[in-house]
Amino acid sequence: MRFMRKSAHRSRWVAMLALVLLVATGCGDSQEVAQEPEGGDDTERGTVVVGSTNFSEQEIVAEMYALVLEDAGYTVERRFQLGSREVVLPALEQGEIDLYPEYVGTALEFLSGGAGEATSDTAATTEKLRERFADKGVAVLEPAPAQDRNGLVVTQETADRLGLETVSDLEAHAGELVFGGPPECPQRPLCLQGYEEAYGLEFAEFRPLDAAGPVTWAALENGDIDVALMFTTQGVIEDKGWVLLEEDAELQPAENIVPVIREEVLTDEIADLLDGVSARLTTEAITALNREVDAEAADPRSVAEAWLQENGLIS
Amino acid sequence: MSALAQWLSDPASWWGPGGLLARTLEHAGYSLGTTLAAVAVTLPVALWVGHTGRGRLAAVQLANIGRAVPTFGILLGAFVAFGYGLAPVYAALVALAIPPIMVNTVVGVGQVDPEVREAAEGMGMRGWQVLLRVELPLAAPMVMAGVRTAAVQVVATATLAAVVGLGGLGRPIVDGLAQGAAYSPRAQAMVVTGAIAVALLALAAELGLSAVERALTPPGG
Amino acid sequence: MTAVARRFPDWDWLASHGGEVAAQLSEHVELTALAVAAGFLVAVPLALLARRVPPLRGPLLGFTGVLYTVPALALFVLLLPFVGLSRANPVIGLTIYSLLILLRNTLVGLEGVPAEVRESALAMGHTRRQLLWRVEVPVALPAIVAGVRLATVSTVGLVTITALIGYGGLGQLILRGFNRTNATQLVAGLVLSVALAAVADVALAWAQRRLTPWQESRTA
Repeated sequence: MRFMRKSAHRSRWVAMLALVLLVATGCGDSQEVAQEPEGGDDTERGTVVVGSTNFSEQEIVAEMYALVLEDAGYTVERRFQLGSREVVLPALEQGEIDLYPEYVGTALEFLSGGAGEATSDTAATTEKLRERFADKGVAVLEPAPAQDRNGLVVTQETADRLGLETVSDLEAHAGELVFGGPPECPQRPLCLQGYEEAYGLEFAEFRPLDAAGPVTWAALENGDIDVALMFTTQGVIEDKGWVLLEEDAELQPAENIVPVIREEVLTDEIADLLDGVSARLTTEAITALNREVDAEAADPRSVAEAWLQENGLIS
Repeated sequence: MSALAQWLSDPASWWGPGGLLARTLEHAGYSLGTTLAAVAVTLPVALWVGHTGRGRLAAVQLANIGRAVPTFGILLGAFVAFGYGLAPVYAALVALAIPPIMVNTVVGVGQVDPEVREAAEGMGMRGWQVLLRVELPLAAPMVMAGVRTAAVQVVATATLAAVVGLGGLGRPIVDGLAQGAAYSPRAQAMVVTGAIAVALLALAAELGLSAVERALTPPGG
Repeated sequence: MTAVARRFPDWDWLASHGGEVAAQLSEHVELTALAVAAGFLVAVPLALLARRVPPLRGPLLGFTGVLYTVPALALFVLLLPFVGLSRANPVIGLTIYSLLILLRNTLVGLEGVPAEVRESALAMGHTRRQLLWRVEVPVALPAIVAGVRLATVSTVGLVTITALIGYGGLGQLILRGFNRTNATQLVAGLVLSVALAAVADVALAWAQRRLTPWQESRTA
């Protein structure tokens, strides 16, 4: 009798373990937000993993890439908001993602370790970037007209008080000002290092925050930082009545948005689809879309979808 | 490799503003402040519940649900509510520290021998006198065990302050992640030193509070 | 203070994003289940080993205790050079944390068998294997299941942090809601995460009573 009870318990125990394992292995594939191919022809099309770094614009543009690919019948796995370029670029090289939106100038300076090869010439900078990426098995497609550069932003009050219009105007005051930006900024040739070298700005303190996101906005609004590193296409700058200081020493190079993709997955068809997006993507367009997401809490996917439809890029 | 050597040999990485020592002090400050705040918030309620026995089950169950609240979510939610600054960090870490202190205090006071309590009342002590002079000293080791558990968790979790742009030892970890911990030995060294410093600080909290706990335990108790 | 652009609570957002919420919830369950199951499969043999080889006990508990004080975020970041951003990253990191809780509870449970009971069982001719399965495991079961409960609840909370490396399940809702100042999205992630932990806890408490009917149920 005793023995029977025990073995009954044991079988329950085993059953529970089996249940746990079943749950663990069975309910899979939820992460890939896969969609059924909608393409008309019956060619076999693979899965493309689209990634993005950690700010709204990246997610919007990555959604555009994802949506046109899906529309053409590809299965897309979205891996957005993975972190800084320092996280996402190695993920691309290792094949964890296949594709993400880059910026020609910053990407080039990043890969070259700040060799200063990036210029305001989009074509030349893109060509250099292709060379840098070539041995990594990564292709650089056609850059969009849209450019998004790093920029320094202050509140209207700070601008008035110190008489700031250009980045150079900061030089006399930098010693008393706190500069806030993404944690990777001090190591970036076009961020803190660049502002020190090109403009001689030695800020009183650098405060690591986020990639021009809500932490940076709140810290600037609060007065915890005086100068913020933001992106020139952020509609939120105008929305909040902040001042984007004018670049007068040409630190920031051409920063056209460009898809970078692993050669292994690249086909002519994929290149055409992504080039189609880039061809229509202007600075004005992306600025407006960023504003919708940042200031109106719109979803990157719906914003991207509406824009693609307006431009006849998806059905 | 040279970047790593440079970082390791630069005194500013260790002693400068934003260096490891400064971050450790910030981290200790957040941890101490939030643990004390949690004690101040929890103890009066928990003592009252333990003393009167009213709502004991509710308090313990509430605390158990409290353990399930993700600190990460409270932190970001409180940031949306309060903005940039210490408030979100306090909200998140105090919420983390309350449950163990609550449970241990309620249970500790509740476990005091009813005969001891009655004896104290028989001597003419009022309710609050019984609580403060008899029940609290007897429950003190248990209360301190709760505080110790809370403090160790707080030290390990205060790392998240860096996610909302504050300091502490989360700084080298979050910065290391952003600066390329996947491949850069320098970034990896930042993360490792940050993690080791957190572990040492947690160990210090554990040992220090264990000593307090032992001191509060009556001989033979 | 950041202006909250959307009203809160925004039921329309919830209604139109049920799919996203469900996908993240299921991802959250999956990561939790994988981590606790893997932690269990490692912790139990380790605990049995420590029972067999007593000198291992101290170092094992000490080592796992130290590991537990390493901040979760640092662990995920330090796994990057080895497993990159693959799913193995959150799973391994979360497994290590659940392992610590499970190992401790399993050991404590197994040690709950009084030495006299073990000796008399051996004297009665039980083999070590029989001793383990007929005496030690049934006695330890409540502590083991309590460990599974504790590990599950704390893993549900920890999963949210993996949003910082692109996973996170409901943590993704929290992080995205935060980035877009969409409080509804953030709170949905937060509330569902607490609810998930509560449901798992209650379910495991029920399993605990079913598995050990001879044991008075006790609160963890």
